[in-house]
Amino acid sequence: MTRSIDYGYAVSRLRAMENRLIDQGTLQRLLDSEDLAAAMRVLSETAYGKWILEQQGEDKFEAAIESEMKFVFTEMERFVPDPGLYQLCRLPYDIHNIKVLLKGLFNQKRGGTRRMDLLTSLGNIPTDDLVMAIESEDYRLMPFGFHRTVPECLMLWEQTNDILQVERVLDEKLFSLQVLISGEIGFEEASRFVKYRIDAENLRNLARLKRMGYDSALAAPFFHNGGFVSRDRIISLISEPFEGWERLLAFADVAKALSGAQEHGDLDSLLAELERSLDDFLTGVLEKFRYSSFAPENVLFFLWKKEIEAKNVRILLVGIGNGAEKSVLRRLLRNV
Amino acid sequence: MDQLGIMLAVLGAALAAGFAGSGSAIGVGIAGEAGAGIMTEDPGKFGLVLLLQALPGTQGIYGLLTAFFAILKVGLLGGAAVPVNVWQGLGVLFACLPIAIAGYYSGIAQGKTSAACIQMIAKRPEETGKAVILPAMVETYAVLALLMSIILLNSIQF
Repeated sequence: MTRSIDYGYAVSRLRAMENRLIDQGTLQRLLDSEDLAAAMRVLSETAYGKWILEQQGEDKFEAAIESEMKFVFTEMERFVPDPGLYQLCRLPYDIHNIKVLLKGLFNQKRGGTRRMDLLTSLGNIPTDDLVMAIESEDYRLMPFGFHRTVPECLMLWEQTNDILQVERVLDEKLFSLQVLISGEIGFEEASRFVKYRIDAENLRNLARLKRMGYDSALAAPFFHNGGFVSRDRIISLISEPFEGWERLLAFADVAKALSGAQEHGDLDSLLAELERSLDDFLTGVLEKFRYSSFAPENVLFFLWKKEIEAKNVRILLVGIGNGAEKSVLRRLLRNV
Repeated sequence: MDQLGIMLAVLGAALAAGFAGSGSAIGVGIAGEAGAGIMTEDPGKFGLVLLLQALPGTQGIYGLLTAFFAILKVGLLGGAAVPVNVWQGLGVLFACLPIAIAGYYSGIAQGKTSAACIQMIAKRPEETGKAVILPAMVETYAVLALLMSIILLNSIQF
């Protein structure tokens, strides 16, 4: 753990980098774009512009988003004193890559194809190393304890042929790793943020499973330990009507995210609203560091804002490309 | 005993220059780190950053000024040597303490405030005027300490 005063350089640099984030005016111009080509022109004026020029093809905005995120993560590696802070944010991409590779492996065994194009370069582990480790079945050098998790997943699939169970093991690994890393770096607020993220993920899963009609026994394995709200409490909510969740979770901070989503009648629109309000809730958790000049948590705040920005850009461009209504897109946008 | 009196006065001067200078060094360092962070992204802000980085440096100057004044008082800086007894030496030592202590802490505090204001101008360069005022508020207490040290030094009779 580094002393917080050592973050003077890092936080100042992040403040300057914040000027490159997409502002509300540009977001509005993106939203007002008539078609995808017009939206891409607006996006070209932002930090994503230099990456768009390098890309070809219709989905070049996806590649541009990935390139920009990769650039940000690479910059972080150069000046953030505690690697754990950005490793926390890159771990979901490692898990995503492992899921893609394992699913490809399982598909191949069934005579299907592998989708290497779904791999992302945003993880902590270089994609080539990951592919090499899984293809050669040599997991010894995989970091973050994946040398045990990957064989465990392979064994589980051999026994059950159930990809959902494999995904659950990997998700559980993701959250336990995040709890571990945030504990090791020793910044209390980083640990709290991870706990809030687990709460948010559990609530998100709860709403999805409720919509799919799962009962508590079936839904139980989809929830994760480590949040402020216990797993048992979350499981007990699945038999309750959605309107009662806020009251039953009133003791927890994450209940704030439910209040905005209560007004929606059907579960589909409620889910979309809940996703948005959970992201806004997590933004709110880190918001207080906006005024801390030396707080290491500013690294998390910046990376979170960058992730949300990428999400907003993706929502707008995919929506505009598919001709979605502007009012619908506006409702889906997250606050930054 | 005259030697001990002189040594106590020299100790006071050393503390004033040493502590206030250390506070300034730490403060300027903190502000400099913040400034480097901003200039990595936007080198055009060098002028504004330099101004804010220089602010915590004044405590070191106040410490030096007090130290000069103290050794001048006991005749170590030119002129005839003044006989200094232990009590007079102790008086000079105590008179140097306000700027030594306040200079050290206010230098660090001003460095932190300057760093925060450097971050402020990264986002709002048009607010530079306000950004300079905030660290200057911390300066007030270093100036008060300097005043007190000089008044105390002046009041010691040889």
